[in-house]
Amino acid sequence: MSASSTTPSAGTTPRRVRVAGRTKLDFWFDAVILLAYTVAYSYGFTGVVIHEWLGIGIGIALLLHLTLHWDWVIRTTRRLLDPRGHDKVIWLVNLALLFAMTLCVASGIAISRVALPELGITTLQTPFWFRLHVLTAEVTVGLVPVHVALRWRWIAGVGRRMLVWRPRGRSQ
Amino acid sequence: MKFLRQFAAVVAVVAVVVLLGLAWNRFAPSLPGEGPGGEAVPVQGSMIKAAPHSVRLSPGGHPGAHEVLRIDNGGALGLDLGDLLQPENLAVLRYTAELEAAIMAAVVIVNASYRSVRRSRRAKTGMPPPRDTDLR
Repeated sequence: MSASSTTPSAGTTPRRVRVAGRTKLDFWFDAVILLAYTVAYSYGFTGVVIHEWLGIGIGIALLLHLTLHWDWVIRTTRRLLDPRGHDKVIWLVNLALLFAMTLCVASGIAISRVALPELGITTLQTPFWFRLHVLTAEVTVGLVPVHVALRWRWIAGVGRRMLVWRPRGRSQ
Repeated sequence: MKFLRQFAAVVAVVAVVVLLGLAWNRFAPSLPGEGPGGEAVPVQGSMIKAAPHSVRLSPGGHPGAHEVLRIDNGGALGLDLGDLLQPENLAVLRYTAELEAAIMAAVVIVNASYRSVRRSRRAKTGMPPPRDTDLR
């Protein structure tokens, strides 16, 4: 991705504030995951087919999201024992979310009625996996907004920089 | 190369969590709120969702994501794409969005209040503000 959303031009035409490509990728990728999760959780809206394929997509997106933020995971984990270390609450929320969402996707795959049978894969369909899917989905729907909201300053900052137009000549 | 190395680490962590789930199923196959044999799920009529705590949507009630929304779809399990924008189905999506928005608002208020208190406390003691991490 390019590192800038503007092209240099002379004059006083307004321009968007420069936002790093990686920051834009994080912002939009995370927004899409949040939207996809909200839709996938609304089973009564999607029906079984979209619910299952969207869930598999979210599973893949979860792997990419974790990979993109793996440096933060390592850095914050190392600082956990430091009394002055930050992000302890976020680390705990993220750990709980990792467990809940992974088990939610895994149990969803285990009880798949459409997506996996269509690929020729036999699923388990046991009450344990069904109950685990419902339980972890309910935990996840509580943790996802917390996970997002704990980064509200970053979201507000990046959103403002990407959406607000400033006249040329002003400092960023 | 770095991305692949990190991706492999993530896959390993996720695999560990999945293995824990499998072990849970193998050695203690019960979950909070259910007996060891699981919970019976009564299914009547043409329902598109029948979770263990399912209830039929009452008039004027809010349909939760795991509540039953009774729609006459000829007994089929799923919905087709044409059903997506039916007002009764959109209510489920709206409920989820409202639930998430409410939780986010509560966390933002608590977090902002906490930061405000901490900032004023630091201003009194003359300590420098903490450095935010992972914010680019």
